Amino acid sequence: MPGKFYSISITAAALLVQAAQVWACAVCLGDASDSAIDGYNASVLFLMSTPYLVVGSIVAGLIFTYRRARKRHEEMDAEMIGQLEWNLRRRAVDE
Amino acid sequence: MAKNSTALKLEDLASATPAKRAAFGGGPPPPPPVRPIAPIGSNAWLAMIMFLGAEAMFFAGLMGAFLVFRVGSPVWPPPFQPRLPATVTGVNTLILLLSAVTMRLAFLANGRGERKRLVKLLSWTAILGAVFLLIQGFEWVRLLHFGLTVSSSVYGGLFYTLIGFHGAHVLGALAWLIAVWSKARQGKYTGRNAVGLQTCSMYWIFVVALWPVLYGLVYLY
Repeated sequence: MPGKFYSISITAAALLVQAAQVWACAVCLGDASDSAIDGYNASVLFLMSTPYLVVGSIVAGLIFTYRRARKRHEEMDAEMIGQLEWNLRRRAVDE
Repeated sequence: MAKNSTALKLEDLASATPAKRAAFGGGPPPPPPVRPIAPIGSNAWLAMIMFLGAEAMFFAGLMGAFLVFRVGSPVWPPPFQPRLPATVTGVNTLILLLSAVTMRLAFLANGRGERKRLVKLLSWTAILGAVFLLIQGFEWVRLLHFGLTVSSSVYGGLFYTLIGFHGAHVLGALAWLIAVWSKARQGKYTGRNAVGLQTCSMYWIFVVALWPVLYGLVYLY
């Protein structure tokens, strides 16, 4: 058990010594006039708007397809009723 | 008498008097017309829409990475880096757009039951897609000779990642298109039973529609 404790401690100490200096904030670029900030801002705005664009396109496509299908069904209904009426007229005339 | 009775609406027939019913030939009124209930699209169609949404987000991520460096760099392309062949690729863009037209026409031809025209238009789509890939490959070889590689700079890395992923998608779509073409030749698609053709057509048109956006962003912006 103590052996395990020592080995973990030594490994942790070695990792701490080896660790490179890192920024606390990955996107804090320091100077406010840095042009990289403009790049990040443009990218953030683009990526923020993309889900709306994608989901909006899908919803618009589904609405369009639904309306087209409904119109086609109404046409089919009208056609079937017309056919039925024609059959009834023919029967009436025959009799 | 019988002629006048036919002016009755079908909805009125159920509540009509026996005399009026008799004018229609007697007996009970006919059942109301039954419309076949069918979903507006197949499951595969819906799955393809979801898949294309995910693909759009994938490419949006790559474009976002491109924008970070493009907008963040005061000079673009960076100094001592070759310029991209915008004119040749512009012509190539037209070729790819034309392939989307032939693909759509092929799909419509299948709806009308024109099998020969379907096969012919699918062939043209595949040829145009292959020409696009060949021209892209030729331009890539030239750029590599000019020193633009994946590891030469951020510019090269972004170019090959973004355009390379699109090229890989076109290649995959082309392989799928060839399989669909082969099935179309065997007459496996009919007007109503053409899910494979429909989903392939959707994927192809997505890949084509994506290209002008990438072209404008990478080559012209």
